[in-house]
Amino acid sequence: MKAPFSKYLDALTPGLRKLIDLLSAHYDYVSVLSTDSKGLMLRISQHSKSVGNQTMTTERGTVVRVYRGGLYSEYALDSFDPERPEETAEAIRKTLDAQLELLKRTGVKPFETGKLSDEPLEIFVERETEYLPEDCEISGMVEKFSAISDRGMAMSEYMLDCMVNVQSTHVCKLFLTKNRYLRQSYVYSEGAVAAILAKDGQNKFGYKSLSGLCGFELFDDIDSKLKGAVDTALELLDADRIEPGEYEIITSPEVSGLIAHEAFGHGVEMDMFVKGRALGAEYIDKRVGSELCTMHEGALCAENVTSYAFDDEGIPAGDVTEIDRGILRTGICDALAALRLGTVPTGNGKRENFEHKVYTRMTNTIFDSGSDTLEDMIKSVKHGYLLEGMDSGMEDPKHWGIQCIITLGREIKDGAFTGKIVAPVIMTGYVPDLLGNISMASADRLVFGSGGCGKGHKEWVKVADGGPYLKTVARLG
Amino acid sequence: MKTERIAELLRASSADAWEIIDSRIKGWEFYFIRHELDQNRAKDVEHVTIRVYKNIGEEAMGSASARIAVSETEENVKKTIDDLVYQASLVRNKPYRLNPPRDFEPMPEYSGSVEAEAEAFINAMNSVRETETEDINSFEIFTDSVERRLINSEGIDITEKYPSSKVEVVVNARKDGHEIELYRLYDLGSCDRDGLVRDVEEVLQIGKDKLIAVPTPAIGTSPVVFSTDAALEIYGYFLDNLNAAYAVRGMTSFELGKPMAEDIRGDKVTLNAVRYMEGSPSNFACDAEGSPIRDLCMIDAGVPKAWCGSRMFTQYMGLDDAFDISNWEVSGGSRSAAELRKGNFLEVVEFSDFQVDSMTGDIFGEIRLGYLHRDGNVIPVSGGSVSGSMRDNIPEMYMSKETRRYSSARVPAVTRLEKVTVSGISGEDQ
Repeated sequence: MKAPFSKYLDALTPGLRKLIDLLSAHYDYVSVLSTDSKGLMLRISQHSKSVGNQTMTTERGTVVRVYRGGLYSEYALDSFDPERPEETAEAIRKTLDAQLELLKRTGVKPFETGKLSDEPLEIFVERETEYLPEDCEISGMVEKFSAISDRGMAMSEYMLDCMVNVQSTHVCKLFLTKNRYLRQSYVYSEGAVAAILAKDGQNKFGYKSLSGLCGFELFDDIDSKLKGAVDTALELLDADRIEPGEYEIITSPEVSGLIAHEAFGHGVEMDMFVKGRALGAEYIDKRVGSELCTMHEGALCAENVTSYAFDDEGIPAGDVTEIDRGILRTGICDALAALRLGTVPTGNGKRENFEHKVYTRMTNTIFDSGSDTLEDMIKSVKHGYLLEGMDSGMEDPKHWGIQCIITLGREIKDGAFTGKIVAPVIMTGYVPDLLGNISMASADRLVFGSGGCGKGHKEWVKVADGGPYLKTVARLG
Repeated sequence: MKTERIAELLRASSADAWEIIDSRIKGWEFYFIRHELDQNRAKDVEHVTIRVYKNIGEEAMGSASARIAVSETEENVKKTIDDLVYQASLVRNKPYRLNPPRDFEPMPEYSGSVEAEAEAFINAMNSVRETETEDINSFEIFTDSVERRLINSEGIDITEKYPSSKVEVVVNARKDGHEIELYRLYDLGSCDRDGLVRDVEEVLQIGKDKLIAVPTPAIGTSPVVFSTDAALEIYGYFLDNLNAAYAVRGMTSFELGKPMAEDIRGDKVTLNAVRYMEGSPSNFACDAEGSPIRDLCMIDAGVPKAWCGSRMFTQYMGLDDAFDISNWEVSGGSRSAAELRKGNFLEVVEFSDFQVDSMTGDIFGEIRLGYLHRDGNVIPVSGGSVSGSMRDNIPEMYMSKETRRYSSARVPAVTRLEKVTVSGISGEDQ
């Protein structure tokens, strides 16, 4: 079935149009983003079970963007009354005028920016889903997930807990200007099975995740993730510390995705170009990776948790080739950064929710596949590691450093696994070296969307990333 | 819908217990590129979360929660409550009792405003002393005034008003065409102008050194000194392992009355919950479930003394007066910061993202700027990483007598861990 667009937002629309008209008498540009996204979350473990309707992206509210005198201002509210748009217009003007008074008192000048264009555009998208989170019957699911948790507990004497966490969000967004009327409705879901083990006072944690642009049907075979989660944690119990050094590595698709995200995901977010915070601005059309390195970014690149039809500034979704056979071609851009840089927006203007500012953000960030087989890649390694599982990462667009915390490494010597596992693994390095040393890429690839991105340390949004198995060289510690 | 009406609907429902947290937030935000305004924002929102509890026989209880949009109709709120009651009846947990009303001392009333706080922050940032070669790249100011009300079916009705602010600062330093940046994110209550300016100017100074940093050598196992907010991760490990949820799940090796490690040769950790901390954004009289917060010794000289955490897990442990900690402090150690900086060691002042995994005790972080102290010489270094384990370091870690506050925690200004592996990038020991 189609995920139905919010009746609440439809009912709001006439009032919001009136609000735009009222504010347009005082401002040169007015846009409105209204959201009504509902969710369902289930967390099952041996020690606690919980259910709720909140996920990372559930929200209901409105943000109004206005422009005057070279300055963009925004006002976020969650109590818009469509029968009384005059009251909201008055509150917005009064508050923003008070802010301008404060700025005058403190001697602050605006960072002059041009006016956004408002070409006519209409989009209405309702994506397919089997289930809506707001209508899900959970009784069978609680039993099913509890049984998975119980089965996990029986898989090892070292088990402390086995968790099944799932959530689904029905996203509905309405974007309006004088000339734009955009509506979208889609459902995405994500989940994980996780195992916590303890042996000799040491705790270890293993998990396997799944995600997709669909409803709770995603979890029909979630029990297939159980063995992998428990096996990972069991392997970590007996893992060694890695001898720090530079190694040949093969990255699993999950780790390839983490590299894509941290390297030339953040490295080419063009709002950072405006601030002079990204080295990428100086490397357009220059080599930053090997011939085997091609990378795409955009909501249209893949169908996963952030595959929307338009972004939070009313820009249609895109598919950007950021790196083409090793050459950095372009970055991704929100609408205001595009104005400031004299380029076009790529559909990557995203907010944590309606209360937050737009920044340039990633959607699906993915390495292209190659033509090698994993077997041949392993055979080609003299001494190195197959890296699996990602825990976290951190970007450094200014200096092109990268930090990836990886769950484990499987040692390879003379083209074969030795059976030795090392964990945890910290992969660090200089991004062009890491990408420049890519010498093999597998023919298959996977996309993962169970994580979030904080653009540093705040402003959390959903992202997905992935790629094939990649062979390169990196410093591990 | 008004909170009172939601409470009436909950009372009239078949829920056996319930709670509401209603946070009204007025916020002003200002985003700067250099010192020019990129954008100004305001928000006026209300977050209402309800949780309903349903008894399942005599030996189990379930709960389900929902965020209620303030624009929601009464009909839909009623339906949501009915759905939650049904969902709660399906998730079996051990029963526990919600907090009853208890006497507590209210916090001093906050009488500030987002306007005044924002102006103070803008003036503070504009007064930072910059030079031609070290300056502010960009900064963001977030000032919220929050009024949080907690109501539950046991009769609790507590309202607290407090400021909550954030300042994100990116600074640059440049020399001979080479430019670097450093990043800081401050979680604050009201504006502490002098403290903020002092800290940003300190970061500008650090930026100079990053310009001349050389690749970190591979020095193997080494003492490492932490003198920034990275120390919060180290001491957060202790705090997390005192959480009742960790204890109930068997995830902590801490036991009350038993030293955290045998044969401790260094300083022993003393950690206290603190009810009020000047400048903290977390000065609450009660936690989010209505448990009164008080000063309490959690770890005394390396010996855990008390558990903390949510009502659910502390009740499971039979604790009736436990609470979720807001502010906390770690006492200073036996030596001065200067004494801890003696000998050969690496002091890291900028990480990409330093982390201590509270569950496994693993330590890791990429070095963006450190100072390598070798035989009386000090060399700024960059790159590579530190790794290790809290289990290996608890027996010998040192804390300075001097302490420093970051957000809602006061910790030793300098912390020295003796067993940390430093993976360099220069390929060989120097």
